[in-house]
Amino acid sequence: MTNPLLTNLLTNLKKTAKMIGEMFYGATIYEMMRELNKERAQLEHLFILIVFGDLLGVPILPPYYTLRLLPYVMPNITGWRRSMLRERDMTDLCDQDIT
Amino acid sequence: MNAVLTLLLGFAGIAVGYGIYAKSLNKTVIQPDDNKATPAKMYMDGVDFTPANRNVLFGYQFKSIAALGPIVGPIVAVRWGWLPALLWIIFGTFFIGWVQDYSSIILGVREDGQSFGALSYRFISPRARTILLTFIYFYLLLIMGAFGKIVGYDLMSNPAVPLGVFIVIGIGLLAGQMTYKWKMDIIMTSIITVVLAFIGIWLGTLDSVQNFFAAISGSPDQIVFGSVTRAHFVWSLIVLVICYFGAVLPIWRWAQPINYVAFWIVFLGILAGTIGLFIWHPAFPADFPAFTNWSGDLCAATDCSGIEKTVGAIGPLWPLLFVTIACGAVSGWHSLVSSSGTARQLEKESDALFVGGGAMFMEMFLAVLALLTAVVGVGVSKGFAGYVSLVAAGKNAGVFAVGLSEMMSHVGVPTSFGLPYGSVFLTLMALTIMYLVVRFMRVASAEFLGDKMPLFKNTTFGTLVALVLSALVIWTGFWVRIWVLFGGANQLMASLALLLVTLWLMSQGKKYMWTLLPFLFMFVTTLYALLLTAIKVFSQVLAGGLPIDKVVGNILAGAIAVYLIIAALILGWDAYKSYKKFRSEAPAEA
Repeated sequence: MTNPLLTNLLTNLKKTAKMIGEMFYGATIYEMMRELNKERAQLEHLFILIVFGDLLGVPILPPYYTLRLLPYVMPNITGWRRSMLRERDMTDLCDQDIT
Repeated sequence: MNAVLTLLLGFAGIAVGYGIYAKSLNKTVIQPDDNKATPAKMYMDGVDFTPANRNVLFGYQFKSIAALGPIVGPIVAVRWGWLPALLWIIFGTFFIGWVQDYSSIILGVREDGQSFGALSYRFISPRARTILLTFIYFYLLLIMGAFGKIVGYDLMSNPAVPLGVFIVIGIGLLAGQMTYKWKMDIIMTSIITVVLAFIGIWLGTLDSVQNFFAAISGSPDQIVFGSVTRAHFVWSLIVLVICYFGAVLPIWRWAQPINYVAFWIVFLGILAGTIGLFIWHPAFPADFPAFTNWSGDLCAATDCSGIEKTVGAIGPLWPLLFVTIACGAVSGWHSLVSSSGTARQLEKESDALFVGGGAMFMEMFLAVLALLTAVVGVGVSKGFAGYVSLVAAGKNAGVFAVGLSEMMSHVGVPTSFGLPYGSVFLTLMALTIMYLVVRFMRVASAEFLGDKMPLFKNTTFGTLVALVLSALVIWTGFWVRIWVLFGGANQLMASLALLLVTLWLMSQGKKYMWTLLPFLFMFVTTLYALLLTAIKVFSQVLAGGLPIDKVVGNILAGAIAVYLIIAALILGWDAYKSYKKFRSEAPAEA
C-alpha cells in the first residue's frame, strides 16, 4: 500500500526537479546548442544556395545536378527561402547576454 | 530593518506583482491564445525560430538579462541611502520592468517575430530605426567604459584576483576543447573544470602569487598620462587583449566555454551568499542611513576626514537614481533580447508571462541581494564609513566582494578565500560581457560603415577600432558619469520599447495606459538625467583644473550625452506624430 500523500509529494518533487533541471539547461547549455545549430544552418544554407541558387535568381550549377538533389532538399526549401530572404538588422543579434 | 525581511519584501513584491498585476493585465488586455501559432512554430527553421519548453526559455531569458547591471547599479545607488534604491528596484520592476520585458515578447510574437529595428521603422518612422541602432552602439561603447574601469580597478587593487581570472579563462578554453573536440560528457566536463577553477582562485590567494601581481601593478604614484596610473593602464590593456581574443575567435572556442565555467562560479557564489544571508539574518546597521540626502553626497552624510580620496555628490535623486539602477528595475536591453531572441522561441502565447515577467521578477530579487551586500555585507563589518571609503577609492566591485564574502562566511567559506572569490566573480561577470560587446561593436561598424569603407568588414580592423574607442572611454573621464550615461542609453532603449508597445496596443484597439505612462516617465526621467550629466561634465571642463585625461573623458561623455538627448528628442517628435496618427485611426478600446 502506498500512501497517496507521499506519492503526491514524490510526484511534485520530481516535477520540481525536472523544472529546475530544464531552467539550468536553458541558462547553460541551451545557448551552446543554439550556436551549433546556427553554424550548421549556415553551412546548409550555403550548400542549398550553391545548388539551388536559381530559386533566388542566382544560377550556379547546371540543372542536371539540381534535379538529382531536389528530392533531398525539397523539405527544407520553404524554410531556407524564408530564412535567406528575411530582413535582418543589428537588433537581430541582440539575443545574447550583455547587460 | 532585517536583511531577511528585505528579501521577503522582495518576494512579496514578486507575489503581488506577478500574481495579481501581471496576471490580470495578461488576462484582460493581451488575452493570450494558445491556439494561435507562434512565429517559432509558424516559421520553424531549427535555428532562430524554434519552439522551446517554457522552463528552458525561462533559464535562457534570465541568463540573458541578468549580468553585472543588477549588481553594480544598486551598490552605486546606495549613495542616496538604501531605501530609495530598494523602493525603485521593487516599484520599478512592478510597474515598468516586467511590463517592458513581457510586452516586448508579446509584440514580437504577434508581429511575426520581427525585430525591434523593423518594428521601429514601421510603427514610428524610418529614422527611428537608425536612432535605435545608434542608441545600441553608444550603449555598447559605454558598457565597455563602465565595465572596463570596474575590471581594471578590480585587477589592480587586489593582487589575489588576477591569477584566479586567468586560470578560469584557461579552464574555460579547456572546457571548450573537452566538449567540442574530445566530445566528453558535459557533466564530467563541468565537474572537472569547475573544481579546477576553484583551485585556481585559491592559488591566487598565495602570498608569492600576490607579490608577483603587486609588482606588475607597481606603485600607485607611477603615472602614465594625466591621472592614469601605470597599474590602471597595464591592467586595462590586458583586459582589452582578452576582449580581442573573445571578439575574433570562434564563439565556441572562446566566449561560450569561458562563459559556461564563469556561470557556475557566479551561480555558486549567489547560492552560497543567499543561504549565508538567511543563516546570518543580520539587522541593518544603525549607522547605515536609509536616506542620505537628495544629492547622494556621501561626505555630507558621514565624516570623510579619514578618507584619502574625497567622493563628490552624484546629483539629484530624481532623475539620476532611475538611470543609476537600470538592470534590476528597468533595462532597455531586455526588450531587444525579448523580441529578437525569446519571442522567436516561444511555444505558446501563454508562456510569455512566465518567461518574460517571471525572469524580470527574478532579476529584481538579484538586485535586492546586491543591495544587501552593500548595506549589511559591508555595513555590518565595516560600517557606513567602510562603504564610503570603498566607493571613494573607486572600488565598487570591492563593495560587492566584501559583502558577498561576509555573507558566504556564514556557510563556512573563510573570508580569506571569499574576498578574492567575490572579486573574481564580479570580474568574470564583466569580462564575459565585454568580449561579446566588442563582437557586437565589430558587427555594428561593419554594418554601418562596411559599404562605404570596406576595411570595416575586416574582422581584425573592426575589432581594433572597437577596442581603441573602448580604451579611450576606459582611460579617460569619471566612472560614475560613464555609468549614468550607460544607464541613460539603456533607459532610452526601454522608452523606445515601451513606445513601440504602446503604439502597437493602440493599433490593436487595446488599453495602452499601462505602457504609455511608464514610457512617459522613463523618457522624461532619462532626458533630464542626460541633460544634467552633460551640464555637469562640461562645467567641470570649463571650471579648469582637471588633468588631461579627465578633460578628454568629460568632453567625450558630454558629446555622447548631447547626441543621446538630440536623438531622443527627434524620436519623441516622431513618436508624437505616430501617436496622433494611431489615435485617430485606432479602433475602439477592447
